[in-house]
Amino acid sequence: MNLRFHWMLPKGGEVGMKTAQETSRVATTKARSPAALHDMEGWVRFARCAEEAGIESVLLSFSRYEPDTIFIACAVGQATTKLKFIVAYRMGLMQPATFVQQINTLSGLIGGRVSLNIVAGSSALEQRGYGDFLDHDERYARAEEFLSVCHSFWANKGEVSFSGKYCRVDKGKIFTPFQAPDRTEPEIYVSGHSEQAKHLALAQGSCYLRLIDTPEKLRPTVKRFCDNGVEVCLRLCVICRPSMEEALAAARALLPPEEIEKQERKILSSSDSQTLKEALAAADDVGWMNRNLWAGLVPFYGSSAITLIGTPARLAQAFMAYKKIGVTQFIIAGWPKLDEMMIFGREVLPLVREAERVSPAKAQR
Amino acid sequence: MAARAWNMPLKFHWMLPKAGEVTLDGRQTPRDAARYRIDSMQSTSPAVRPDMLGWTHFARHAEEAGIDSVLISFSRYEPDPFLVACALGQAVCKLKFIIAYRSGLMQPTTFVQQMNTVSALLHGRVSFNIVAGSSSEEQRGYGDYLSHDERYARAEEFLAVCNAFWRADGDVNFEGKYYRVEQAKLATPFVAPDRTAPEIYVSGHSEQSERLVSSQGSCWLRVAEPPEKLQPIVARTRDRGLGVCLRCCLLCRPTREEALKVAESLLPKDTRESTTTLKDDSQMYREGNELKNDYHWPRPWLWTGLVPHYGPVWTTLIGTPQDLAAAFLEYERIGVTEFILSGWPEVETVDLFGREILPLINRV
Repeated sequence: MNLRFHWMLPKGGEVGMKTAQETSRVATTKARSPAALHDMEGWVRFARCAEEAGIESVLLSFSRYEPDTIFIACAVGQATTKLKFIVAYRMGLMQPATFVQQINTLSGLIGGRVSLNIVAGSSALEQRGYGDFLDHDERYARAEEFLSVCHSFWANKGEVSFSGKYCRVDKGKIFTPFQAPDRTEPEIYVSGHSEQAKHLALAQGSCYLRLIDTPEKLRPTVKRFCDNGVEVCLRLCVICRPSMEEALAAARALLPPEEIEKQERKILSSSDSQTLKEALAAADDVGWMNRNLWAGLVPFYGSSAITLIGTPARLAQAFMAYKKIGVTQFIIAGWPKLDEMMIFGREVLPLVREAERVSPAKAQR
Repeated sequence: MAARAWNMPLKFHWMLPKAGEVTLDGRQTPRDAARYRIDSMQSTSPAVRPDMLGWTHFARHAEEAGIDSVLISFSRYEPDPFLVACALGQAVCKLKFIIAYRSGLMQPTTFVQQMNTVSALLHGRVSFNIVAGSSSEEQRGYGDYLSHDERYARAEEFLAVCNAFWRADGDVNFEGKYYRVEQAKLATPFVAPDRTAPEIYVSGHSEQSERLVSSQGSCWLRVAEPPEKLQPIVARTRDRGLGVCLRCCLLCRPTREEALKVAESLLPKDTRESTTTLKDDSQMYREGNELKNDYHWPRPWLWTGLVPHYGPVWTTLIGTPQDLAAAFLEYERIGVTEFILSGWPEVETVDLFGREILPLINRV
């Protein structure tokens, strides 16, 4: 099977922005940030370019700073025909039956082009604003029950009854089915680095989503998931330029002014996410994780900013190295948001496809 | 008597037809249309799947007819109304959407984030109809185990939190019996040319629903009843600065005799076809059931003959265009401000309403 490549949908207003500094998270969380508003013009342009670039899906991130992901997927989905939408949603925000009804309706409206990224919740402070007062570990226990109820609805074997610690339904019925050409329920990406997240992905997910690391470090984790029939998808950024020197120069140009660094640190340190803590440690300790993988942007742009840097040939090689250890999917972002995706589609993807054709070698696990 | 609202023309909304109900070739008898709606609560009905083609067809006719909004109903038998509004709102540019939603399905913060997102995508063409929940059995399937009265108490808290977000004066903190939020913020605002919060229709006939609309709502949505019965209810609601919207069906023909013949065809051939028992703890449905042995013509243009079989929202205004225009004007005189209508079949009835009835009302 060919590697599957997805891209982050830019936040409102970002499609038109040219520098990484403009799109830093500090700017996003400011009052009156354009990220709070929808950007149909920019998103539709981006989505059509993604289709053209050979990108399979876009991931829509969820936070209190942005519009609701389910409806953005619905609106952008009306304007596209091929692109899929990985909708990030948190737990504790609604009843599982309601969630299934919304996702099923969405699937019917956009030809089944929807999957889910389940996030147990990344900040206790933000969750309390949604009326959720559980701690990190309990959020995962609830997510497990939540997804278990969702799966029962999707299994479509009569009424759903469930009595757990966090979720309870009695003779639940949702008549609107999940509609897709090839599936009866959405793919479920579970993200997080904690043991609870891994457990949740194994128990209820179809794919484990985590930050990129070196193939050597990832190998045991990936093997564990592959052995259990769960795919692994890596989240990363890319910088691709004709020469390594140009790529490095582009990377250095992304470093923000000092003041932004301080503010971003403050946001990052308020999170109780295991993912973030690990990513920050990587950035502080080493910077370069191997000759292509740079964590230098993490303190400024968040944990998902671990970046694969290089020429088209080196990047294609790097992706193939992940394929060898069993990784099947990637969710990528870059700066500027649109241009980097077009470079990837034009320069990197054909080389990856060529390499996959030449050596359809089975993944070595 | 309540102040006559001459400065504000009556607003007319319509029920969005069920998915699959609209036939694009227009060939459907009133009975077929009624039958479709009754059968839509079965899992085998095509009504369970979104129907953009039929809905868009109807929405364009509704816009053409001068309809303000469509109400999209909520139940476990049909697609989620929020998403239907979002999708359909992309396809038409004038029509507004009243989204029916129950309390107890999601956190108020999430609800506001979804509502605000849809408002931005549809340039504010969205309001909502809060339903406390009409059937305990259905609510339990959604994970909601509260009783009728508690559901209203919860809805009150739910709307209080929502309204706090829409006031947009800083972080929202709330500590109630059913909801608790702390330092809540949502960056996405409610976006509309003329409002900073959606209109809130509260439906129901119980005392609790009246309290809820008075404290948190903008319009009380009730089933049409004889004007003399509604007059005091409407007057006190208007005195509180709220609107009153009546829900009813419309059956219009060139002569009253023809209209009555169609009405006759809508009666069930087998009385066991009744669907009213599905909503066991709704005050409105209990009242509807009490009509069983009553005379079904409180006024010559107001017919409740279908109510014992299919529920109170099948209360029907019936007659010639002149009869019906006069009926609407009589309601306007007692202070009613809006109507949500439906008919059999929907497209033909909305066309007829726009062509034959609305001009008579606007001429006055």
